[in-house]
Amino acid sequence: MTSRWRHQAFAYVIAVPFAIVLAFPFFWMAVTSFKPEAQVYDPTKVWTFHPTLANYGFLFHHTGYLRWLRNSTFVGIVVVLITLAVAVPAGYALARLSGRVGRSLGVAIFLTYLVPPTLLFLPLSRVVSKLGLGDRLWALILVYPSFTIPFAIWLLMGFFKAIPQELEDAALVDGCSRLGALVRIVLPVSLPGIITVVIFTFSLVINEFVYAITFISSSTNRTVTVGVPTDLIRGDLFNWPGIMAAILIPSIPLALVYNAFLNRFITGFTGGAFR
Amino acid sequence: MPDTTDQPAEEQARISRRDLLRKAGAGAVALGVAGSAAPFSFAGPLRYKGRWLKGDLSIIQWVHFVPAYDDWFDNTWVKQWGQANDVQVNVEHINNTLLDTRAAAEVAAQSGHDLFFNLHPMASYEDQVINHASIINEVQRKVGKYGSLAKLSTYNPKTKKYFAISDNYVPDPVVWRHDLWNGIGESPATWDHVAKAAPKLKAAGHPIGIGQSQELDSNMALIAFLMCFGSFIQDEHNRPTLQSKNTVEAVKFMASLYKSGEDAGIFGWNPASNNNYLYSGTGSLILNAISATRTPESQHLPFSDNLWIWPIPAGPHGRIGLEHVMGCYSIWKFAKNKENAERFLADLCIHGKDATVASQLYNFPSFPGAFPFKSIRKLAAADKNKPNGKYSILTTIAEKYTHNIGYPGTTNAAIDEIFSKYLIPQMFAQVSQGKLSAQDSVRDTMSVVKGIYSKWRKRGKI
Repeated sequence: MTSRWRHQAFAYVIAVPFAIVLAFPFFWMAVTSFKPEAQVYDPTKVWTFHPTLANYGFLFHHTGYLRWLRNSTFVGIVVVLITLAVAVPAGYALARLSGRVGRSLGVAIFLTYLVPPTLLFLPLSRVVSKLGLGDRLWALILVYPSFTIPFAIWLLMGFFKAIPQELEDAALVDGCSRLGALVRIVLPVSLPGIITVVIFTFSLVINEFVYAITFISSSTNRTVTVGVPTDLIRGDLFNWPGIMAAILIPSIPLALVYNAFLNRFITGFTGGAFR
Repeated sequence: MPDTTDQPAEEQARISRRDLLRKAGAGAVALGVAGSAAPFSFAGPLRYKGRWLKGDLSIIQWVHFVPAYDDWFDNTWVKQWGQANDVQVNVEHINNTLLDTRAAAEVAAQSGHDLFFNLHPMASYEDQVINHASIINEVQRKVGKYGSLAKLSTYNPKTKKYFAISDNYVPDPVVWRHDLWNGIGESPATWDHVAKAAPKLKAAGHPIGIGQSQELDSNMALIAFLMCFGSFIQDEHNRPTLQSKNTVEAVKFMASLYKSGEDAGIFGWNPASNNNYLYSGTGSLILNAISATRTPESQHLPFSDNLWIWPIPAGPHGRIGLEHVMGCYSIWKFAKNKENAERFLADLCIHGKDATVASQLYNFPSFPGAFPFKSIRKLAAADKNKPNGKYSILTTIAEKYTHNIGYPGTTNAAIDEIFSKYLIPQMFAQVSQGKLSAQDSVRDTMSVVKGIYSKWRKRGKI
């Protein structure tokens, strides 16, 4: 019992400071979002202030915030679907390609993920323009998979590799087709990896800034990442409560999703990597 | 790993993940509903609904540092001009730090806005833009000569092309806390005075705030600082002259000023940082346009009456400043609505007075005849903010101490590249951070500068 208590105490000693440090920005964000704007710079009102919903009201009624949220969500969902549609079969094929070819191809695909958007946005501008997608959300839907798919393939490849070949062989012997084995045997076992891809891809898309600021012009087509700094920072005037409210809102559902699938998310990241 | 599910008491004390999700979800929904129900009315952006207009015009420009200007521009000027000319005008505002990125993207795509505004003349895009001479001539016929500052900033004497048109520029004073400086018996009349005061101010918890970062304000402040020390990036014939004893002295001086009177934060600043440094009550002196005083006034910050503006401190070579912002519009060759863009620009410049008034004296007209200095001085003197008449000095700064980037030469493609790559702040920062000696930093920078000049000379732009 003493040993167990010690074990738990040790875990808390390590975890609690981390939790405080990591949670504090969110706490601060939440507090500031309820502060009247005039009290943000007032050092005497750090904790004692009159909470207000005016900042949320401003966001919803005086900016295109709801539209930005809708745009971000729409782009995020479509990109996740495209990424899954491409990365699952690609990752599976690469995982089952034995020898050096599979490994090299996998690494080569992952390397494309490392090319930063700050280099790619110029050539991609021309592509987007030629396709007539300028200032349309479809420009982002076209471009974002260029960095989500390589990472997803690499992640899923590792995961598929960890699934014993014997499972599929058994399914094939039982009369399953290759596709059937993939759908009925491999995918259910790979669910943590797929969930990881979904969450990670969605987060990447929601956070992306460079392509969004480059390819989207009109206020109506902006995503949250572009709308917030453009409409809530007026020159040197930072509408801090508004900014905090704008960031807090999308971070709540994301945090909930992360929390709901935390165990699978960890398995997804570590499962393929260590086997 | 021990299984803990056989401990019901402990389990009940915890909030399960499902509970957490349920409660947090309910909280998020409540927040959203409550926020959306807050008492505000919606004012949508739709204009000219149901009306077909003859033409279109798209404009991209910065989010002005004086919000009142954008209100006037979007809701009064653009609206009235659009109705008068039967043109649907769409204005996009983006953060000033993103303008260069956006320009690069539009050029790469050969597609973009009809009018592109930037805070510095985009001389390196000369081949991508039309010659703006005809617009300038038209405005000159109405309000008189194009100001020499604007001409030196937007005209290439080598190719005889106006690669942009400036509708406004912004004087760049030093903004300082009179109460703090008075407390130590000093004032920023010269750089020697600043150096003397800096350690005392820092010791009192109010350091100086001159940036050495890769951003606009650091660029402007440090290039102007160099000029006060007799160091110039180029001469009047647009030949590079950065490597000089004066440059080394200036860099050493600034490094010493940093060590005695500034914080390390200056190396990571953005264009709003020095303003915010002042607003927080910490900074005692910055080099910035009057947005730095207008915001404290509008927010009724306790020290706003103690913010004084003066011309740049004098150095061994005198008092030589730069404009803080050179507002320049360019029309791309690939713009779809060139005619509308030209008409709009001409009208905007002709009505320079309205812009100056709307910007609360931030913008000065690049065509001085649009709103002569005498009239501006009168308007400035009537400003009610304390100390009375503090803005009158702006006209003196504009007339006597405001020069173009690249002075005594013209603003050209090489200067544009040096400016856009932030080579000057980098040169200073390397020394202030102790990474290089002043001599080495200046020599290294000069070698890059020479390469840039050689490149643009080969392209026939200098």
